[in-house]
Formats: sequence, structure tokens, C-alpha cells
Amino acid sequence: MNKNVRERAQRLREQVRQFCRQEMPEALLDKAHRHQVLDKADYVQWMRLLQAKGWVAGHWPKAYGGQEWSALERFVFEDELARQGCPWIIPFGVKYVGPVIYSFGSEVQKQRFLPGILSTEAFWAQGYSEPGAGSDLAGLRTQAVRDGDHYLVTGQKVWTTYAQWADWLFCLVRTGNEGKPQSGISFLLIDMRSPGVTVKPIHTMDGYVHVNEVWLDNVRVPAENLVGEEGKGWQYAKFLLQNERTAGAIIGQAWHVLDRLKRLAREADASGQRPIEQPLLRQRIGGFELRFMALQEVAYQAVQAMVDGSDNGGEASLIKIRGTELYQDVAQALVEALGPAGIAFDSAALHSATLPPLGPDDSGGILKEHFYNRAATIFGGSSEIQRNIVAKVVLGL
Amino acid sequence: MTTDLDTIAMLRDSLERYSADRYSFLQRAPLLQLPGAFSAQTWQDFAEFGWLSLRLPEELDGLAGDAVAVGALMEVVGSRLLLEPLLACVVVASGLLLKQGSAAQQAELLPALAEGRLKLVLSHGVSHELCRYAEGRLSGSQQAVLHGDIAEQLLVPARDAEGQLRFCLVEASAAGVSRQAFRLVDGRGAANLQFAAAPASLLQPQAGAPSAEQALAEVCDEASVALCAEALGVATSLLRITNDYLKVRQQFGKPLAGNQALQHRMAELYLLTEEIRALTLAAQQAMCLPAAERARTLSGARAYISQAARHIGNEAIQLHGGVGITEELEVSHYFRRLMVNAALFGNRDEQFLRFVELSLADA
Ligand SMILES: Cc1cc2nc3c(=O)[nH]c(=O)nc-3n(C[C@H](O)[C@H](O)[C@H](O)COP(=O)(O)OP(=O)(O)OC[C@H]3O[C@@H](n4cnc5c(N)ncnc54)[C@H](O)[C@@H]3O)c2cc1C
Repeated sequence: MNKNVRERAQRLREQVRQFCRQEMPEALLDKAHRHQVLDKADYVQWMRLLQAKGWVAGHWPKAYGGQEWSALERFVFEDELARQGCPWIIPFGVKYVGPVIYSFGSEVQKQRFLPGILSTEAFWAQGYSEPGAGSDLAGLRTQAVRDGDHYLVTGQKVWTTYAQWADWLFCLVRTGNEGKPQSGISFLLIDMRSPGVTVKPIHTMDGYVHVNEVWLDNVRVPAENLVGEEGKGWQYAKFLLQNERTAGAIIGQAWHVLDRLKRLAREADASGQRPIEQPLLRQRIGGFELRFMALQEVAYQAVQAMVDGSDNGGEASLIKIRGTELYQDVAQALVEALGPAGIAFDSAALHSATLPPLGPDDSGGILKEHFYNRAATIFGGSSEIQRNIVAKVVLGL
Repeated sequence: MTTDLDTIAMLRDSLERYSADRYSFLQRAPLLQLPGAFSAQTWQDFAEFGWLSLRLPEELDGLAGDAVAVGALMEVVGSRLLLEPLLACVVVASGLLLKQGSAAQQAELLPALAEGRLKLVLSHGVSHELCRYAEGRLSGSQQAVLHGDIAEQLLVPARDAEGQLRFCLVEASAAGVSRQAFRLVDGRGAANLQFAAAPASLLQPQAGAPSAEQALAEVCDEASVALCAEALGVATSLLRITNDYLKVRQQFGKPLAGNQALQHRMAELYLLTEEIRALTLAAQQAMCLPAAERARTLSGARAYISQAARHIGNEAIQLHGGVGITEELEVSHYFRRLMVNAALFGNRDEQFLRFVELSLADA
């Protein structure tokens, strides 16, 4: 990659690093470093801190309150935040629906929704998946029937992250049943407080509720909450998907977990032994380092292609597959390297000042992340679907 | 001495029938909520069916079960994700008492174990140095002892004043014993144990008994073989559940099983499961081989099985998609059980290294 571009990115990286180290409130920093569960108030505080720097939506156009970051700056920003072990930026507002609204929404929608997204005044959730429509999203069946100046929406969404906190749901619904399944889909914004909306928690193996079922029973949605044109929802969803698969955070997370493994391996245990001296662990970490190097170089190459406009549609898949698979392998090795602390699970330690029953202070959090990220090769387009994309889109198979 | 095949089939069938009846995944969920994930009623049932006296000699009304017989039960333990301390009490504690207990100690403790009146657990967690025993008192600590939270008595390996390895019997409720109880990722209980001059008595080996070191190595090997069988139970279950799921789950207008990419993934899981089955049997049969040969087969089997089972656990989740990581579905529970088992009685790296050493011993 072009040396100048890397240097410019390096300066942003430096600023982000300083910010993470010096301007994060103590309590938030501690929770983040122990990978504890953050509640809604923590996220609001975190995203507002970033917004104060103009970073929460740095990739938005200036006209809507962003900084018009290049693909590279955006990459570096997300990469560095994750490397520093910071909480993620909840993407549903700033990364997903915001760009759809400013690209395809009405003037009224822009004025109504964008400020709340930037200020984290409003929480958003993504209502795409359904029980029968996972990988095959176009199979979705939630119906929206026009009734005067409203839609009546009935159906069930599933896996809806943070629906329990959400004020708004951006939702793919079926407004037509003719032609290809993709062509009858529309993009609706649904107020979660509307009568007929029910949220039911789904418990996951990390001992927490991230995801939910969202039941929609004859929910009246004003027609003015339709984004763009009826029947064009699939197009907007595909546009959004390009944002869903941004690469930086995946690389930063892989780096962070590998760094943690190396730090753990260097620490002497009570008998003075350093795990890093064990040949098998040494070789394993070396293997991860090598995969990380390839991942990082491929990511820079992809970002360069995006900057140049020479990307072929396979870049994001490459990074998502390699990044999430590496992350999972390293996380598994890290959990194993924790020894008995890697099988002890005290969910109280994830929610309070309680320390885990054994191991380092962050051992509970490491486990929680390991469990949650077991889904990283499933959500946001599974590894299998990503490989299908490469085969079809890039290789023409 | 080998257990006859009818007895083995009877054991497997009885536990399988019991589990099908009373230990379905849905019936198991409330058991998981009990303190220490332990149900006294279930344990009493196990005693009445005779499963707790599996290892006992015939003089004590036991079945004198060998590794294959133990494996028959442990396979069901794995496939049904049983939470009870069968491994700890039936395989390990009973095994150690048989090797190192005096006649009086055996006569007192083995029937209590077999009748489910006593939960005796070998404190074989992690410790940086062995506990110390002197003049009827035990001191030291151990971490992450599986079922240490529900044990009524503990068997603790310790060095005496002469530096000899001994086994101490300690009442868990005695003064000088403190324990911090917690759950493991698979829901079973464990404890960190601390002994501060806790009153302890010693196991008194009979004439001709193996050395303490050898006895400990033997029970660890016996536990290891049992864990191979448990992994087999988990693997066969995950294979079946995932296979069934791919046939019914429809995406893109056809069952997931219609994708050749996924058929190949399932074929791979089948190959691994058959390797686990074969290695489990090899490990069981190796138990009557000379020590070095036994150790090589056993370590090799466990190293291979830990790796294979982990792969199966990961793939089962991946192929289920989102539901794979939920509490509601068995798959994530099997996945977590495998994590815990892989850390017990020698992890994959330790087993692999031992296998390499023994394989290259005369190279
Ligand atoms: C933690 C988590 C958070 C999520 N958050 C949200 C959210 O906020 N909003 C939202 O709308 N959705 C969300 N999802 C849903 C996610 O997008 C889906 O889980 C994903 O699309 C996969 O669908 P599925 O779970 O139904 O699996 P399925 O589609 O049933 O897939 C099962 C398995 O089959 C494979 N497979 C499927 N089709 C093929 C094929 N043609 N060829 C080869 N293999 C195939 C898959 O890769 C997978 O391994 C979330 C999921 C999780 C786990």
C-alpha cells in the first residue's frame, strides 16, 4: 500500500490510541478491559464520548454531521479501537440505518432521525432475520399491508440484537408477493413502543441476553416511515450490508485477543514457569502471528482497492472469513491457556465488581467473549455464505 | 478380568432407558438449577439401579466392572449430559479406595459410596505444590476441583513429613477446611479448597498394594479412559442432532442438507466420530497392557479425541447457525461439556507430549 496513505492513517491511529488511554472514564475502562457486560447507560456514555471527538460517525458526509473519512481512515479507526480493547460502537444507528436514511430517506426522515442517531438519543435495532429467513434473507415473510396512510405489519423477527433497549426497529417487510422474492421487500422504520410489538429474550450460552424475538402483531406504522420506495427494500439492505462488513473491527479484535494470549503466555506461574517456553504453545502462537500478518496485509490491500475503486466485491468476504476464523481460534487457545480459570464461569463476575473465582481478573470476560464470538462466523453473513459470495461474485461459478 | 458382554449391554440399556425416561434435555434443565447441579433423588436412583457399585468387587455385591463396562455407562453420561458425579465417585474415588484403602476403610466407605450415602471426591484439581500432611493434620490448597462443592468427604493427595505421597481423608465440613464453590462453564459445580491444619486420616494401603504414585497414575488413567467414552457419547449425539437438523432446516427453498458443501462437512464429522469410537475401544483394551504401552495408547487416544471432539463441537454450532449458541438447544451444552472434559486429567497438549515421548522412546 501507498506509503503516504499509511502515514496519514498512522496519525489517526495515534490520536485514537491516546484517547483510549487518557480520556476514557476509569469505570468504563475497567469494565472494558475485563470484558464485562456493559449496560445501556455505559454504551450511551461511550458513544457520546466518541461523538464529542466527531468520531462516532466519522464516515458520514459532512452535511449530515460526519467527517467524510476515507475507507482507510474508517478502517484504521475501527481497528485501533478494537486493539485497545474498547467497547464496540453499536452499529445499528450510526453504521447501518443512518447511511440508509441519508442516502435514500426523505428530507423529513433525515431531520427527524439523524440527530438522534448521532447523539445516541435513540437506540436502534435491526429487524431482518426471521425464523424461516436466516441465510436466505429474501425468504422473509413479515407482511406489511397498506391501510390508508398506515401499514399494518404482522410477523416475527428473530436474533434482534438489543431489541430490549431499542426505541426504533429498522425492518425488512414484505409489501408484495409477485416476482422474485427480493422484489416485494420494503424498508420500514417501526417505533418499538407501538401497540402490537412484543420483545422476548433469547438466552445465549455466554449467560446474557443480547438477542431477542420481536413479534409484530398488526402494528400500525405510519406510511411516512417507509424509507425510499415501496418494493426497493432489498436494494437498500444490500447497500447497508456493505457497511455491515467493514473490516477494521475484525482485525482489531483478532489483534487484541492475540495480544492477550501473548501477555498471558509471558507471565510466570506460581512455580516460575512461563507458558511461552512450552514448544507447543510457542508454535501455536507463531502460527497465529503468521495468519494475523496475512490478514492485516490483505486488509490493507482491500482498503486500497476500495479507495481506488478497483474492488471486486470479494474483499469484505475475504476479511470476514479470515478475521472471524482467526479470532475464534485464538480465543479458544486463550481460554485453554487459562487452564482451570478457562472452565470456571461465574456470571456474577461479569456484571459486578466481583472477581472471578480463579485466574486473572479478566478471565470471566475472556470466556464470555469466546462464547459470544462463536457466533461471529454465523452472523453478518456466515462463513459459508461468504464463500458462496466469493464463488459467485468473484469467480463467476 | 473382563466384564461379560451381557452385563455391559444390561448396564448401558438400563442407564439409557432411565435417561430417556427421566433425564431428557427438558427434564435436565431444572436439575441444572439445583445447588451444585446435584439432585439427591437422582443420585439415589443411580444407587438403586446399581450403577454406583459398578467398580466394586463381587464380595461387596459389586459388578467388578472393567474399563469397557465403565465406558458403557460413560457413553450414556456423555450422550445425556448427566450432571452427577459418576466419574468422581464411581471411577476415581472407588478406584483409589480399592487400590489404597485398608480392609476396614474399604468396608466402611465403599458400601457408603455404592449406596449413594457418601459423596467422596478426589481433590485432583490444580495445585502448584502438593498439600502437606503431618500428625493427623492437612494443610495446603487446591483449585477447581470438579464436584468439590458437593463432596461430603475429600481424598487429598499430600506429602507427609518424610516426603512420601499419601492420601488423606478429610471431612468437607471439618474445621480448617474452607471451600469456595462455583460453577463450571457446563453447569457442573466445582470448588477451590483450602486446608488449614484440617483433621485428616490416611488411607492405609494393604500388603502388596501399588505405591501411592502408581495408584494415583492408575486412577488418572482410568478416569482418562472413562472420559474417552464420555466424548464418544457427546460426539455421536452431536452428529445425530446436526444431521437431523440439516435435513429439516430449509433455506433457499431446500433443506440445508441439499448443499454438497455441508454434506462434506457432515461426512468429516462422521469420520471423526468413528475414529473416536475406535480409539476409545483401543484405550479400554490397553488398560490390561504393560504400563508404558498402556500409557502410550491412552495418551494418544485422549489427545486425538480432545482435538476431534472440539472440532465436532464447533462444527455442530456452526452448522446450526444462530440457534447453536442458545441455552435452549442442547448443542451449546455439549460444546461446553467438551470444554470442561478437555481440561480434566491431562489436557490435549499434555497428553500429546506424553504420546510423543513414549512413541519416540526408542528412536
Ligand atoms: C449473536 C447474533 C446476533 C444477531 N443479530 C442480528 C440482528 O441484530 N438482526 C438481524 O436481523 N439478525 C441478527 N442475527 C441473525 C444472523 O444474521 C443469522 O443468524 C444468520 O443470517 C444465519 O441465519 P440462521 O441462524 O438462520 O442460520 P441458517 O441460515 O439456518 O444456517 C445454518 C447453517 O447452514 C449454512 N448455510 C445456509 N445456507 C447455506 C448454503 N446455501 N450453502 C452452504 N451453507 C449454508 C450456514 O452458513 C450455517 O452454517 C444475529 C445472529 C446471532 C447469532
